[in-house]
Amino acid sequence: MTVQHSPLDPALVASINGPEEVAKTGKRCVMNRRQFLLTSGISTFTIMVALKSGPSAAKVPAVVSTYKRKFIAKLSELKQDEPLDFTYPDEGAYAESILVKLGREAGGGIGPQKDIVAFSYTCTHQGGPLQDTYKAADKALGPCPLHLTTFDLTRHGIFISGQAYQSLPQVLLELDGDDIYAVGMFGLIYGRHDNLQG
Amino acid sequence: MSTPYYIPETNIPLPPVDADVISTACDYCIVACGYKVYRWPVKGGKVGGAMAGENAFNVDFPVDPLGPWVAPNQYNTVMHNGEPHHVIIIPDKDSEHVNIAGNSSIRGGAIAQKVYNPQTPTRDRLKSPMVRMFGVLMPVTWDFAMEIAAAVGKHVIKKHGENAYCVKTFSYGFMENTYAITKYALNSVSTANFTFHDTPSDVTSTPGFRDAGFDNFGPAYEDWRDAETLLICGTDPYETKTILFTDWIMPGIQNGQRTIFMVPRKTGGIAYAEKNGGMWLDIQPGTDLLVVNAIARVIVENGWEDTDWIQKWVNNKWESSSGFGQGTRNTPWQWRTTWGKFQTAGFEDWKEWLLSQDEFAPENAAEIAQIDIEKIYKAAEWMAKPREDGTRPKTSLMIEKGFYWSNNTGNTQAISALGIVVGAGGRPGQVIGRAGGHQRGGLRGGKYPRNKSPEKLPGRRRRAMDTDRYLMSGHTRFAHVIGNTWIQSMCGSQSLAAKFDELTVQNPHQINSFDKQEIIDTLIKRVDSGGMVVVNQDIYLVDPIGARYADIVFPASGWGEDSFTRANGERRIRLYPKFYDAPGDAKPDWWIIARLATEMGYTGFDWKNSNEVLEEGARFSRGSRKDFHLVKVAAHREGKTLHEKLGEYGTAGIQGPVLMADDGSLIGTKRLHDTTRVLPEDGPIGASRLGKKLTHFNSQTGKCNIQKSPWSLFSDYWAWLKPKQDELWVTSGRINERWQSGYDDRRRPYIVQRWPENWVEIHPDDAKARGIENGDYVMLYSERIPVQTDTIVGVEGDDFSFSKLMENGHIELTKAAITAVAIVTPAVKKGLLYMDFLHTAQPANALSGRVVDWISGNYNYKMGVGRIRKIGTSPYKNSFRSMSFARRDIA
Repeated sequence: MTVQHSPLDPALVASINGPEEVAKTGKRCVMNRRQFLLTSGISTFTIMVALKSGPSAAKVPAVVSTYKRKFIAKLSELKQDEPLDFTYPDEGAYAESILVKLGREAGGGIGPQKDIVAFSYTCTHQGGPLQDTYKAADKALGPCPLHLTTFDLTRHGIFISGQAYQSLPQVLLELDGDDIYAVGMFGLIYGRHDNLQG
Repeated sequence: MSTPYYIPETNIPLPPVDADVISTACDYCIVACGYKVYRWPVKGGKVGGAMAGENAFNVDFPVDPLGPWVAPNQYNTVMHNGEPHHVIIIPDKDSEHVNIAGNSSIRGGAIAQKVYNPQTPTRDRLKSPMVRMFGVLMPVTWDFAMEIAAAVGKHVIKKHGENAYCVKTFSYGFMENTYAITKYALNSVSTANFTFHDTPSDVTSTPGFRDAGFDNFGPAYEDWRDAETLLICGTDPYETKTILFTDWIMPGIQNGQRTIFMVPRKTGGIAYAEKNGGMWLDIQPGTDLLVVNAIARVIVENGWEDTDWIQKWVNNKWESSSGFGQGTRNTPWQWRTTWGKFQTAGFEDWKEWLLSQDEFAPENAAEIAQIDIEKIYKAAEWMAKPREDGTRPKTSLMIEKGFYWSNNTGNTQAISALGIVVGAGGRPGQVIGRAGGHQRGGLRGGKYPRNKSPEKLPGRRRRAMDTDRYLMSGHTRFAHVIGNTWIQSMCGSQSLAAKFDELTVQNPHQINSFDKQEIIDTLIKRVDSGGMVVVNQDIYLVDPIGARYADIVFPASGWGEDSFTRANGERRIRLYPKFYDAPGDAKPDWWIIARLATEMGYTGFDWKNSNEVLEEGARFSRGSRKDFHLVKVAAHREGKTLHEKLGEYGTAGIQGPVLMADDGSLIGTKRLHDTTRVLPEDGPIGASRLGKKLTHFNSQTGKCNIQKSPWSLFSDYWAWLKPKQDELWVTSGRINERWQSGYDDRRRPYIVQRWPENWVEIHPDDAKARGIENGDYVMLYSERIPVQTDTIVGVEGDDFSFSKLMENGHIELTKAAITAVAIVTPAVKKGLLYMDFLHTAQPANALSGRVVDWISGNYNYKMGVGRIRKIGTSPYKNSFRSMSFARRDIA
C-alpha cells in the first residue's frame, strides 16, 4: 500500500477509540492515520484512504494490520540505566528493541518520572546493530558500529550526530498498574517496507 | 510530509520491477556519491512487492544491513512529462567508486526531499519571473522581466561602465550554467565586478598551494585511506563530507592510520580517531601557522625530513628563479607586495629561516595556540620519524576552510612546506590537497579582466576587485546575484545589508507603475541617482537579497530538472540527468543567461539545450584538472552527444583530466602530480594534452617551491582581534545535517526538527561564568567588527597590512549582534564559540571582520570575536520535540 499523509478527523478517531485516547496522543501532533492505528485495539481492518497524488482523488481500500499489545516488563523491576531487551512488533527481522529507564524525563516516556522509553535497536541509516551501545551519561544509543550515528533517547530517538535517515523508531508504551506494554511504533523499522511485515 | 513537524512514517511503497532507473550523483557535498532514482507512474496504482521478483531492487524485504532499504525520507512524488510519478532516490548499491556499495550521508540520503512537490515545504519554489511593483514582487512573464532587466543593464554599462554591472554567482552549480554565466559576465559584459559565492574577489582560495605547485584536488580518495599518518587541518570530514570519512579514512584508521585533527572543536570523526589512537590538536583560531611551523621545526631539528624526495622534487636556488618570467617572483603573491617575504633559495634556505624564527619554537607555538606541547612533538614524530628499518611513514595532509579561511596566505604557505618536507604530494598514500566543500562545477567561458580592477597593490600588480568594498563605496549600480545569499555569506554581514538597504529600498526611485517603460525609467533614475538595481536568480526567494532588495527575480531550475555535468573531489566527472519537470516556468541558469544576453544584444548564446552548452565549453576545460575535451571527441566519433557519452559512465563517471589511448578509448586520471605514473612514450595521442600536472607539480620547473610563511604578515590583525576581557572567539563552520544556507534543509521536517534555528556551542566553563544553560536563548554581539573601507592605491610594501590600514583610517568599527540557542558542551575549546556558518536569519559571519587577507584578498571568515549573554529560554529547552543537547562527540 502507499504511504498516506492525510490526517484523519480526530472526531472519527474519538468515535472509535474513545476521547481519552485522543487526549493521550493528540498532544504529540495532529492526529493522523498512524496514530489512529496505534491507538486502536482492532488487529486488522480495512479503511478508505485518499490517494493525494493520484490523477483522481479516488478513495481506495487498503488492508491494514495493527500493532499487538505486548507485555514487556514490570515497572517495579526496572533499574535506572539498565536496559532490557525485547522484540517488537513481532519476532521477525529487526524486531529487537531496547526498554530503558533513563532517570530523566523523556519525550514519550512513561512511569512516574516519565523516563521509561523503548526504541528499535537497528540503526535507521544502514541497519547497524545498536545492541550494547547504551550510554547512560548521555542517555544515548550509539555510536553505530557501521557509520557512528548516535541517537538521543530523551528526544524521541532523534539523531545526535550522524547519518540516520530518520529518528530511531520509538516503541509506544502503556503502563497498566505495574505492567508495561508495547502498543505501537513511530517510524519505519530499518530493512522493512512496512513495520507490520517483518 | 506537508507539516513542518516531522511525523515518522511506518511504511513505504516499493518500486515495481519495471520502474525507470536513472543513475545520477548527489547534489550536495564535494564527495558526490552515486545515486539511483527509481521512478514509476502514479497512474495505475502499481507498487512493487516484498519478494525479490516483485520489486526493482530484486531483493527480499526485510533487506540485509547495508541493503537497498528505503526510508520514508527517500520517497517523494514528482511530475514527469506532465504526469505524477513516484520517485525513490537511494545511494547506488552497485557503486564501485566513491560510496562503494551505496553508503550515504544524512544529506544525500534524504535528497528525495529536495525535489519539488507542492504538498511538501518545497512548495515555495520560485515558479515564475517577478518584478517588484508597488513594493511587492509580482509574477510576470519572462518577456516582461527580461526586457526590463536588459534595458536597465544596458543603460548601466553604457553610462556607468562595465564595472558598475556586478555578477555575484555560485561557482559550482554545474558546468553548463557556470560556463554560460562566465561567458556572459567576463566575455560579453567584461566586468571586473565579478566574483563567486564564497569570496569578495575572484582570487584563489589556497595561495600557498599555488605557489608550491599543488593542485587543490590532486589526490585520489584511496590516498586518504592508504596514508599511514594523516594530518587533517580545519575540518572533520565525518561532519561535512561524510563518505570521504566513513568509506575512505575510517577504513584507514581501522588499518592503523594515525590521524591528527587540527581544529578547535571535536566532532564524531575526531572522537572516533582519538579512540583509535589518533590525536586532536585543539588549537585556538588563527594560530595554525605557528603549530604547523613548530611541527616542521621539530622534524628538521631531528633530521626527519624526506631528503631523497627533497633532493629530487624541490627547487633549488637557481630553479626557484628560473624560467623566463615564470619564476616564483612572477607568482601573484610575490609580485604584489611582499618581495622576498616568501621565496627561498631551496630547502636549506627555508630551514635556516624556519629555525631563526623564535615564534616557531614549540614552547611558543604551544602557548599561543593553547595546546599541550607534547602534541607538537608527537605529530612531528608520527608524520616524519623514520622507522628502525629506515622506512618512512607514508604521510598525507588534508586542509579545508577551518584552516585556510583564517590567515589564508600564511597558513597555506606553511602547510605546503610541511607537506614537502615529509615527502607528501606526488605518490600513492602520500598526498596533499583540499578535502573540499561543494562539488566542482566551474567552467570558464571568459577571462577575468584584471586590468579593469581598481585594486592596485604595491609592486605594480592588480588584484581582482573586492566586490563588497566596491559596492560599499557605491560604485555598483546593477547587482546580478545568482544562486547565493551574498550578504550572510560575506563577513560583517549586517553593515553590508545596511548598504544594500540604502542603495535599493531607501532610494526614492521605486516602481509604482504597471507600465514597462515607466518601470525601466524609474530604475534608470535609481541607478543614475547613485542607487542600485538588484536582479536575483535562484530556486527559492532568499531573504534579504531576493525577498527585500531584488527588483527582478528569475526562477531557476536545478538538480534533476535539466541534464547537467559536474566533478567531485577526486575530479570524477559525471552526468546528472534530468528526471522530472521543473516547477512552473522555472528555467535552468544557462537558459536565463542566454535569454538575457541575447536581449542585451550579445551574440553566441543560441544554445538549444544544456548539452550544446557543454559541447561548446568542452575545449575550455583543456589543461584543467577536469579536462573532459576528449570525451566530446570520443562522443562525436561514436555519433553520440557529449551528455550521452558521459551518461554511459553512470555513477562511476570518469576522472579528469581525460586522455585518449591509441585505440581511441578514454583514460581517466587517478591522481594529479603522480610521480609514479608512466605516460605514453611517444607523446600525446590525438588531442590529448599531457600537461605538467599529470606527473609533476604546477610550478615553473615541475618541482615544488618551498616557501616561507612569516607570522608577522598576519600577527598584527590576530593580536588586535583576539578576545579581550570577557569576549570569546566566535568561529563557525558546516554541520553535517545542513547544506550551505539550508535552502533544502529548512524545508525538510526531519532536519528542521533537529536544527530549528542557529545555535552556538559553548564550553561549560564559559557557560557557567555567564549563567548560560543548554537551550537558553543567547545574544552574541560586538561593537568592534572591523570593516575595511576605501579602494586605495598601494605604494609602500605594507600599505595593506592591518596596522597601516588602521593607522591611515581605512578601518571602521561596526556593531553586530545575532541570536542563537545555546548548547553547552566540552567538545568546543574553552574561550571559543562555534556556530553553523550560514543561517540566513542568524548569520555567524556578522561577527567576522570584513578585512581581507592583504596578500590574497580572501576573508578571515573563521575569526569572529564577540560577547555572549543569556536573553531568555528557548522553546527547545524544556520540550522534547525539537533539537538535542546531547554532545556530538560520543565515541
